[in-house]
Amino acid sequence: MKTYTICVFTENSIGLLNKITIIFTRRRLNIESLTVSETERKGVSRFTIVIKHEQREAVEKLVRQIRKVVEVLAVFGYLNDDIVYNEIALFKLPTPLDSKPLDMETINREHKAYIVYWDLDYVVLQKTGTEEEIFEFFKYVKPHGILEFVRSGRVAVSKTPKGLVEYLPDEVEWEYYL
Amino acid sequence: MAIAEELLEKEVSTQTPETFITGSKALMECLLAESVDTIFGYPGGAIMPVYDALYDYMDRINHILVRHEQGASHAAEGYARSSGRVGVCMATSGPGATNLVTGIADAIIDCTPMVAITGQVASNLLGTDAFQETDVIGITAPVCKWNYQITRADEIPEIMAKAFYIAMAGKPGPVLIDITKDAQIGMMTKPFEYKKIDKLPGYHPRIKPKAEQVQKAAELINSAKKPYILVGHGVLISEAMEEFRALVEKADIPVASTLLGLSAISIEHPNYMGWLGMHGMYAPNVMTDQCDVLIAIGMRFDDRVTGDATLFAKQAKIVHIEVDPAEIDKIKKAEAPVVGDAKEALKMLLPLIEKRDFTAWKKEFRDLEPAEHAAVNERDFAGEGKIKMAEVVRMVSDKTKGEACVVVDVGQHQMISARYYDFKKPHSYIASGGLGTMGFAIPAAFGAKMGAPEREVVAFIGDGCFQMTIQELGTIAQSGVAVKMIILNNNFLGMVRQWQQLFFDRRYSFVELQNPDFITISKGFGIPGHTCDDRASLSESIDTLLNSEGSYVLEVIVEKEENVFPMVPAGRSVSEIRLK
Ligand SMILES: Cc1ncc(C[n+]2csc(CCOP(=O)(O)OP(=O)(O)O)c2C)c(N)n1
Repeated sequence: MKTYTICVFTENSIGLLNKITIIFTRRRLNIESLTVSETERKGVSRFTIVIKHEQREAVEKLVRQIRKVVEVLAVFGYLNDDIVYNEIALFKLPTPLDSKPLDMETINREHKAYIVYWDLDYVVLQKTGTEEEIFEFFKYVKPHGILEFVRSGRVAVSKTPKGLVEYLPDEVEWEYYL
Repeated sequence: MAIAEELLEKEVSTQTPETFITGSKALMECLLAESVDTIFGYPGGAIMPVYDALYDYMDRINHILVRHEQGASHAAEGYARSSGRVGVCMATSGPGATNLVTGIADAIIDCTPMVAITGQVASNLLGTDAFQETDVIGITAPVCKWNYQITRADEIPEIMAKAFYIAMAGKPGPVLIDITKDAQIGMMTKPFEYKKIDKLPGYHPRIKPKAEQVQKAAELINSAKKPYILVGHGVLISEAMEEFRALVEKADIPVASTLLGLSAISIEHPNYMGWLGMHGMYAPNVMTDQCDVLIAIGMRFDDRVTGDATLFAKQAKIVHIEVDPAEIDKIKKAEAPVVGDAKEALKMLLPLIEKRDFTAWKKEFRDLEPAEHAAVNERDFAGEGKIKMAEVVRMVSDKTKGEACVVVDVGQHQMISARYYDFKKPHSYIASGGLGTMGFAIPAAFGAKMGAPEREVVAFIGDGCFQMTIQELGTIAQSGVAVKMIILNNNFLGMVRQWQQLFFDRRYSFVELQNPDFITISKGFGIPGHTCDDRASLSESIDTLLNSEGSYVLEVIVEKEENVFPMVPAGRSVSEIRLK
């Protein structure tokens, strides 16, 4: 199984998430993670979808099916080597009075995780990194007990010199934020 | 409803500039701008403002009141398939919309251009489980080329222009536009203006193929020693019949068609070898194992064509001419893909193709015919026992000189019609291919007649299928157009019975029908008809049907347990084709 990151650029319209996900469900493909946000161009949304698959060919076919959705402007499929990517995770850990103090030195220096909020009897740590790095950190803090753990979907940019939106169809005058 | 009432009041008040019109009227103007002359529909609460606007457009837009919305969507398909134009159907929200779904699903898989318009509850009621509220956008998303919900009258011109463009462009398909009641009633806030469009940021199919791709395809074709062309529906859709024939003649390549590719080339053409697929002909099927270059034009290697796709034409290099890039390599890897419209591709290809003579290679196909004739045709035309479906189809073919527009339903009669009707004119075999929708024929035949009034439309329908959309006899009777319907009555769900006989040990599980008196029913709807039960009167019966001025139903009692051969068992290699 290889991990593929599929970047889908779309017009920003209602119902599009459904139109894209049904392409996966119909082929019984499990979406590992999914992130949607607006891009540097106004009115253009970017879906970052991570899937695992054994056959590159099947992923290529999938990409072509996604392209068929009318509101989809462009689709790119990547292997991990082609992209810079990250995820973000939040850990809520208990800090009762009698508990062993957290080793913030290791947490900061080795795991590059930080406290983003604290209250009387818990702290919230934020960790940014790859899935593996987050998992490593998860193992590290597990002995403390974890009240809540949440991890975002992947966000990724390609290792190409040009911005990906440059490859979008140029028939339309897209308004830039920048 | 408050918003709607408020808007209604606005409409009658004098403040609105004269040039501004309601959403419903705007919709009518859009249909006129797209030269829509026929709509198949059924009214109801959430679409009433549109029907009210339609009242003033009756002289320009012919609305056909169907008897069930499934009939509307199939009729729109029939219209589109016979005319090459977008078929339009319309229904109310909730059950009206869900009843359209079968026809929409049928249209997407057979690439039929359709615009379906549905009413929806007022936008302030969306998501409240209001009366007859259904999430049609959600329901139809998987079976539409595009769908969209309009909630403001101002959106109507732009969205309808998009809808008609998307339905027709590239690979055609169905588009559903759901219009909330307040958008129908509401006034536009600007003057109505309709601009047709010919591209969209996210949708701009490649029509003219890349020259390199055509070049590579030409080289492969020119190098072939045993080339073989499979022609599909795409050639008919892009009206590329002339270009196609020119290529076939110049390169002298044998041709077989897919089921929906039937009538893309005349059956009389010396290079035409028949059609292939599960119940297709013997030589066209087995020769896929012999060719060295397979040229697939406007077809998609459906499993009913390939059987086991991994074994299909595995020795051959494939040239695949196709407008939808997602079809390239989907089932069969193509050495030379050509993405583009069939007509454009063939135009570019023709000058690059060398003139060849494949007399000997073509003879290899013809040499296989006697075996098939002996095993299949001779049985079908032995003239013993009950009438066979084949005899009826052949006789109708002869009497209509192979020039009728043949519409069929789904089952044994569909395959027998494909096998024994001698198609001489294009757009002459209208069938539900990809979805295999029983109940397609009565409404689709009616739609086909509306789309091509100058043509004689003859429908072959099974006794099971006839009962699925029998209510549309009422629509046909009311419209006054002439649709010639032939029920091939074997008292069974024949095709399923055949599978049960061959693959389930003759365990006939719920396939026998107690049929009604079809002719009494037809007469009840106002359509004359009669039953033919013996061979001696078959010819006269068919004459009566064909000569009747209006619509007619001819029921022919046929052999009950007849099987359709050849047959490639599902999922097997075409080399395992059975002749009996
Ligand atoms: C809506 C629908 N339901 C079920 C089927 C499965 N099916 C395919 S052919 C067939 C039998 C059709 O019987 P009939 O209309 O009598 O035609 P025959 O095969 O006897 O010519 C059935 C049930 C289908 N294709 N469509």
